[in-house]
Amino acid sequence: MNEPTVFIVDDDQAVARSLRWLIESVRLRVENFGSAQAFIDGYDAARPGCLVLDVRMPGMSGLELQERLAAQRIHIPIIFITGHGDVQMAVRAVQAGAFDFVEKPFNDQDLLDRIQRAITRDAEWRDRDLQQARLRALFATLTPRETEVLELVVEGLSNKAVANALGLSAKTVEVHRAKVMEKMHARSLSDLVKMAMQRQG
Amino acid sequence: MNAADMLPASDTLWLALVVLGGSLAASLIFLGVLLGRLRETERRLDEKESRHETVLDRLQENEFRLRTIIESEPECVKLQAEDGTVLEINPAGLRLVDANQPADIIGRKIFSVVAPEYFDIYRENMRRVFAGEAVVYEFRAITLKNRVAWMETHAAPLRDARGNIYALLGITRDITEHKQAEEQARRHQTELARVARLSTMGEMATGIAHELNQPLSAIANFSRGCIRRLRSGGMSPQELIVPLEEVCEQAERAGDILRHVRDFVRKREPRLKSLDVNQIVRAVVKFTEHEARHQCTHVRLNLDPLLPKVAADAIMIEQVIVNLVRNAIEAMTEVTPSRREIVIQTRLFESDSVEVEVADTGPGIEGGLIDQVFDQFFTTKPEGVGMGLAISRSIIESHGGKIRAESSRDGGAILRFTLKISAQQSHRRERADSIHS
Repeated sequence: MNEPTVFIVDDDQAVARSLRWLIESVRLRVENFGSAQAFIDGYDAARPGCLVLDVRMPGMSGLELQERLAAQRIHIPIIFITGHGDVQMAVRAVQAGAFDFVEKPFNDQDLLDRIQRAITRDAEWRDRDLQQARLRALFATLTPRETEVLELVVEGLSNKAVANALGLSAKTVEVHRAKVMEKMHARSLSDLVKMAMQRQG
Repeated sequence: MNAADMLPASDTLWLALVVLGGSLAASLIFLGVLLGRLRETERRLDEKESRHETVLDRLQENEFRLRTIIESEPECVKLQAEDGTVLEINPAGLRLVDANQPADIIGRKIFSVVAPEYFDIYRENMRRVFAGEAVVYEFRAITLKNRVAWMETHAAPLRDARGNIYALLGITRDITEHKQAEEQARRHQTELARVARLSTMGEMATGIAHELNQPLSAIANFSRGCIRRLRSGGMSPQELIVPLEEVCEQAERAGDILRHVRDFVRKREPRLKSLDVNQIVRAVVKFTEHEARHQCTHVRLNLDPLLPKVAADAIMIEQVIVNLVRNAIEAMTEVTPSRREIVIQTRLFESDSVEVEVADTGPGIEGGLIDQVFDQFFTTKPEGVGMGLAISRSIIESHGGKIRAESSRDGGAILRFTLKISAQQSHRRERADSIHS
């Protein structure tokens, strides 16, 4: 289930079948959807991969599907396939956050490269999302006092300065700090600083 | 001598005198009476005569007045005999036909100033006037100085006291300017249509590019997919059959699109002939019969038998009706076979056109799509290219007609187009109308 899939949404069945045949030649998983609505109904956001989308479709257009996915906070990378003279539409799509676009007729290697990059990007996004979720879980294990200590430590304050700021003894601060390091699985102060920054980012 | 002695002789004389005197007096009285009578008669005669003179005067006055009116009338007023001989014509009429004096035209046939191609129409209208009708007709005139002009005549019968028609009273005016304005407007329309067609061609080029891109992309993708698999090895020849079949299909699809485009572009000017629309409808029904039967579609005709002929290009109109019938057949493939019916109707439309209607019992046209059905490449059919109705519209518009689509209340689609009645035909129809009325 974690294998990336290329989702193709195109109302032209022959074009969709040909894309599938081409993309499967590089041993990627492919799934076809005949309309934007069919994709919305059938797509599970947990599945990694990328979306190859025809700009022009009857019913919900490619751009509208992009809007709908953004509204639902689904961040799958989208590669738009545009026809002749649709460049303006493609520009709008990219401005609205599309990953990339190719103009018909396209070079096969070009499309496959873009698909690979999109899949890589999706993996990165998912990895980052996972990291953040993990961090949020770790931060959630800290007591309020430990959180206070952590925030001052990552600002670069010494134990003594933290103790002064919080009205605690230096020894107590040292105990809290060790507990934070342990709970956050941080091997060093710099690890801890990175985690705090990631949480904010 | 005494009177008595003389009596017998004088008596006789006296008697004779008395008698003579009496008869004289009587005669005189009688004469007087006679004279009186005579005077009375004379007086009466005089009276009658003077009355007569007054009537004559009045008649003369009336005629003079009428003549003045007619002579000063700015439009041509003329009287014609049944054979077309000009009996009378006013000065405006003389000017209209470029005559220097009345003798140039009076006594001659009106046909000396009518363009030969209008002889028949002119004769027919004269016949109607002498049959008691009032008519209005247009014709091209060639004046005595060979000037060509368009004329419009309002003509009515003139009757004598016994009610016999003895002349045609015609009031004619020069409508050349009006005709020229009309002609200019028509040319302007044609020019507009040409410009519209050019911009349509621009749109069409974009449409064709988009449409051809689809099968071409598919062909490229299938082929590239095959090449990649062949290069990386481990692919059996059998596995290539399906994608290669797809390639062929897509190549054919591209060919179909081009063929339709070619049909569309190779549009010639319609060769208008006077023809019977009902006959074309029947011919179309005959050669779409096989398709209709194959789809269990019942075709019902409701054709007006008294329809006038239209000015149209038979092959083109045939193509339009075939398109409409095929569309109707294809639209009903999802309908229960027993309910698949096409009704083709013909009828007179706005007195100068004939309307042909093709109605089906299919799903109809979605409200929002009514305006798009005539666009190129608009299609709701999986196999469709979307050129049929676009071509049909182009043909009907090149004939000066209109084509419209709507959904019927029962849900099916109705397509209607109009064609103008041919010129000779509209004339014959007027006659038919006058006979009926």
